[in-house]
Amino acid sequence: MMRALAIGGFLVSLVLFAVVEWVARREGSRVPSLADVCAFVMRYEVGPVPVGRIGLFGFWWWLGWHFLAR
Amino acid sequence: MDHPRELTVEAPRAWDRPVVSVPVLICLSLVGGQLPSFSTAANLYILTTGGGLIWVGLSNRVPRRPAPRRLPSVALWWLVPVTVFGVFEGATFMAAAGDDFPTLSRLADPLLEDSVIRSAAWFAWLSTFWGLVRR
Repeated sequence: MMRALAIGGFLVSLVLFAVVEWVARREGSRVPSLADVCAFVMRYEVGPVPVGRIGLFGFWWWLGWHFLAR
Repeated sequence: MDHPRELTVEAPRAWDRPVVSVPVLICLSLVGGQLPSFSTAANLYILTTGGGLIWVGLSNRVPRRPAPRRLPSVALWWLVPVTVFGVFEGATFMAAAGDDFPTLSRLADPLLEDSVIRSAAWFAWLSTFWGLVRR
């Protein structure tokens, strides 16, 4: 029962990601795509340090390591 | 003779074209898909590929697509899937109930043991990383 709940929850979140991305890609949509949100986050800098870029790269690398190397 | 700057277009580098980058990513993914979890080779491989992409992404070697200067308030819609995912990942992680109430990575582990699915996951990871580098 709890296992089905977990699987269902992750599937719902996946579907929601797809729905928001689909809405974002519709012509004239004001909702930014996930790529645009990531690009905006990556613009964040503290002085000369591209904190947003480093943070997002680090997060994505960790995600790959977590799923694909361990 | 000097040409006006607005008339000059920087030619894309050969390795920056999809016809080159996609086959390279496929080859890297096929290699990665053969490396089992918890192996030294898998750790070294992901360190090398990820480290290389981070290095390219932090240098100015690849042309970047323009990023939006501001996000409209409707961007907050992205918090809906993020929150749903965060609630379930957090709950399953805190419960630590193993297979009875599994985290996403525990659910994905049996699937990723198959080399074809593992290669596909590698391709998704690498191509997204490449997309981030170009942003």
